[in-house]
Amino acid sequence: MSLTTIKGLQSEIFVPITPPSVWTPVTKDIKDMTVALATAAGVHHKEDTRFNLAGDFTWRKITNDMKSDELMVSHGGYDNGDVNKDINCMFPIDRIHELAKEGVIKACAPVHAGFMGGGGNQEKFKNETGPAIAQMFKEEGVDAVILTAG
Amino acid sequence: MQRAIEEAGIPTIIIAALPPVVRQSGTPRAVAPLVPMGANAGEPNNKEMQTAIVKATLEQLVEIQTPGKIVPLPFEYVAKV
Repeated sequence: MSLTTIKGLQSEIFVPITPPSVWTPVTKDIKDMTVALATAAGVHHKEDTRFNLAGDFTWRKITNDMKSDELMVSHGGYDNGDVNKDINCMFPIDRIHELAKEGVIKACAPVHAGFMGGGGNQEKFKNETGPAIAQMFKEEGVDAVILTAG
Repeated sequence: MQRAIEEAGIPTIIIAALPPVVRQSGTPRAVAPLVPMGANAGEPNNKEMQTAIVKATLEQLVEIQTPGKIVPLPFEYVAKV
């Protein structure tokens, strides 16, 4: 007896589907890595344009010459209380600098990326913002990226 | 975002406060300390915890061999709200 009565039947209710896995193997030791940060926490420079809290697929470049106290958060999707006290709890840039100084990693990358997760145009994120950030990291010779999100 | 960077040929790891969310969106590698959303890399102004989380994250970047693996990290911060 077959349990399938109608072939290709799909639920009418939207269910998120986990995409097939992506994987780039690690080829360097931690001490030989130039490490960059990318965060969905809405981090950017204080002088830079704020994110649209209703949903925003754009991103902000954060360069290494920006001090951590010159950075801020605009994000409507989580409690900003902690990150307003200390940007490092979502964007641990000072910690990365310290690890580079101690020789745990080779270097802190010259550029990092801030964007606002938790909404916005997912197609734009996937097809434009994501590849643009990846391209920047490629051009700057980044070996590994730590993200904070979710 | 993590997938886009990984697809470009740079290995990545995400520090997540909500592991089921990153699992669903197809993360290649993740760590999950016991933290609330908004303090993924540890308690504010707790340099020791933040350093430990970032170091453990880098170790797992090398350690994890299976795409989609999420490793819990033994650090806990409960926000007082």
